[in-house]
Amino acid sequence: MNSQPVQPIGTVKGPGETPNDYLLIAPDPERRVKHGEFVYYLALIEGETREILGRVTGRRPVKLLPDSFLADPGVPPATVAALLGYESEATELFEITVRVLGFHSAEMGDFINPRVPPVGGAPVFIATDALLGQVLNKRPRGGRGSAFLGSLLSRPEDAVPIALDVRGFTGTHLAVIASTGSGKSYLAGVLLEELLMPHNRAAILVVDPHGEYSTLQEMMNLGEFSEGNYKPRVRIFRPDQLRVRIDSLTVGDLRYLLPNLSEKMHYQLGRAFNFAQRSARNGHYTLEQLLYAVRQTAESKKESEGFDEDDPTTGALVWRLQSALGHSRIFHDFENLELEALFKPGQCTILQLNEIDRRDQQVIVATLLRRVYQARMDTAKGKLDRGDPSHLPYPVFCLLEEAHNYAPANADAVSSEVLKTILSEGRKFGVGIGLITQRPGKLDSDVLSQCMTQCIMRITNPIDQNRIAESIESVGRDLLQELPNLSKGQVVVSGASVNTPVLIKVRRRITPHGGQDLDAPAEWLQWFAQDRAAEQARDQALFVEKKIQYEDDGDVLWA
Amino acid sequence: MTHLPIGKIVKSNSHIDYVCQVFGQGETLHPPAPSAYGFGSFVAVELETAGEPSRALVGLVYNTLLMNPEFGALGPRLSPRSEVEIFSPDYLAETATLLGVIAIGWLDVVGQVHQGVPAAVATVNCLVRRLERTELLTFHADDAGQPQLRYTPLLLAHNHALVAPLLLAVIDQLGELFPLSRRRLTVMRNNIAWKSIVQPAG
Ligand SMILES: Nc1ncnc2c1ncn2[C@@H]1O[C@H](COP(=O)(O)OP(=O)(O)OP(=O)(O)O)[C@@H](O)[C@H]1O
Ligand SMILES: [Mg+2]
Repeated sequence: MNSQPVQPIGTVKGPGETPNDYLLIAPDPERRVKHGEFVYYLALIEGETREILGRVTGRRPVKLLPDSFLADPGVPPATVAALLGYESEATELFEITVRVLGFHSAEMGDFINPRVPPVGGAPVFIATDALLGQVLNKRPRGGRGSAFLGSLLSRPEDAVPIALDVRGFTGTHLAVIASTGSGKSYLAGVLLEELLMPHNRAAILVVDPHGEYSTLQEMMNLGEFSEGNYKPRVRIFRPDQLRVRIDSLTVGDLRYLLPNLSEKMHYQLGRAFNFAQRSARNGHYTLEQLLYAVRQTAESKKESEGFDEDDPTTGALVWRLQSALGHSRIFHDFENLELEALFKPGQCTILQLNEIDRRDQQVIVATLLRRVYQARMDTAKGKLDRGDPSHLPYPVFCLLEEAHNYAPANADAVSSEVLKTILSEGRKFGVGIGLITQRPGKLDSDVLSQCMTQCIMRITNPIDQNRIAESIESVGRDLLQELPNLSKGQVVVSGASVNTPVLIKVRRRITPHGGQDLDAPAEWLQWFAQDRAAEQARDQALFVEKKIQYEDDGDVLWA
Repeated sequence: MTHLPIGKIVKSNSHIDYVCQVFGQGETLHPPAPSAYGFGSFVAVELETAGEPSRALVGLVYNTLLMNPEFGALGPRLSPRSEVEIFSPDYLAETATLLGVIAIGWLDVVGQVHQGVPAAVATVNCLVRRLERTELLTFHADDAGQPQLRYTPLLLAHNHALVAPLLLAVIDQLGELFPLSRRRLTVMRNNIAWKSIVQPAG
């Protein structure tokens, strides 16, 4: 309870449309009872006076000055009323709809709905900042397992800090959804900063198709992030450092990577794959050995003992495998990105996938996710020794930008299946997924509905709004209506990581944001500001590279 | 000090709707000043008390009417008014000021006040006087000292054009008598003002 007496802002009128709503009447001259504002009334619950919190979902003026009083825009209608003898300031009255959340029970860590509407005439108060700070957060800001995301939008900045429950979204997955340019990557950056703070020390992998997360490296130099001898590590893998060993590809991956396979080729590829696996020494084989397997499994091989180079299916398969895998920097005979190098508590690994073909990206993500998931399952089941490179004795969290590329709706991608598996089963083995997308309509709907924590920012497209309404129940209709009106950096967070859906203004990032929009006019003007030598040099250069200097890892390509 | 009578009951239109004739020149030593019976004034109608529980009705002046038999007599007047006063004073007395008084409560013999429709009836010639300030206070204060306006429904049901201004006038008087309760009186005042002033003008 609050010690200082609080003035009520309105009076309960009666029940609303649904059993969870009630109406109140408020003059609200200071416009404090905004949409989304939290209010409470007092009720006696099991002998204790409780604050029954609710959220304002509607507001309707019930005392309107007659239209004809508004005839002259230069004359305030109140002065017309005064002219007739109505001199009071009280010309406005609002009927406000409140959705009841309930009282916060410390033991349950949740809101409990009293299931009884308030009595008519009961005073209603605006919840104090202190009360909201207590009841909206599952964890206190800065406490273990908390991710301080920003503060409640309806209050002054920093008045009510909101911290997500890290356990909630790393366990049952996270979705960040918004139209382009609304601040998704910025918000993800904030979350990553929080995850690597000394009170979380997470093991994170970021799939970064636009190369915008490299600025997180600053964390290694900033005091906020270190404590004792803890300091977060940020590892960046650039496209030319990414390696996927050829024998880690499944037959599905291969089929996906090879364009235009005929029925025959499909069949032969399957046989060759099995052949390669059977004949591989301790499970490893090279591209050359795979090609050998293709030749060994040729149809014509059965009849004639000798190998027929002219068999068209074999030739086509060999050619396709050569061009897809042989000429790639990513698919490699021996090297592989080891899970140990990718995942470690207190480490954020950034896979820069820019400059990589979309299909290759999907295969990289699919193989990685598959290996992580397998490693976690095997480790959990005690199948792996400590020394095994796949031994992964801690939960991990993977953040995917442009998630609709990895699990598209109405299309197939090699990564869809493993992603769906992890989303439905991953919590048992401690593999958490964070999906970021600007087109929820293009994302597989099962995938979206498996993310139990949702960060939804501005969304204007009605198709995307509908998709969200379909797959995410926890966001109320009233908050969905807000989505098109949000501005940059404002987010509705709902689901497992908060006690109730909240509208937040995202905090400022500590490290710089890497995804700045390109400033075309500035760059054009810059062109003329250069001296001639530089200009000529640039004319001759094929690519314009922009470099940012970093202390630890040297240059980072900015694309 | 009790106020002097301002007039007497001459007729009634219903159980609560009385007509009081204001004493004119010559009927009393001190004819009342017009401010003594203005619109919205609270009055007491003194009853015959012998053996009766009620001592007086409390009423509210809601209307006035001037009677003038001379009105419509368009012929030339032979004697000037100053001479009429001397030569035929009873002729002058035919002009009269009538007050519409609505009964909104009563005072009983033990000094208690009650709001609402009184059981007792005033009779013709009952004297009417202004209510004193202390009487006004006790009449409107409930047991806790808070103002009460339980006769409001009575006024609202009294279908008369001046009911809304009457209520506003009453509330304004109460605001002065109960300065601590002005906030709640303002709610009521604004409500009546909005419905009677702003809404009809829209
Ligand atoms: N909370 C914030 N505070 C200040 N600036 C912000 C905030 N959120 C976003 N911005 C700014 O808005 C711009 C766009 O943000 P961001 O790159 O995160 O958008 P996005 O949703 O990831 O867009 P895209 O769909 O293109 O990836 C950036 O320049 C960023 O600096
Ligand atoms: Mg982005």
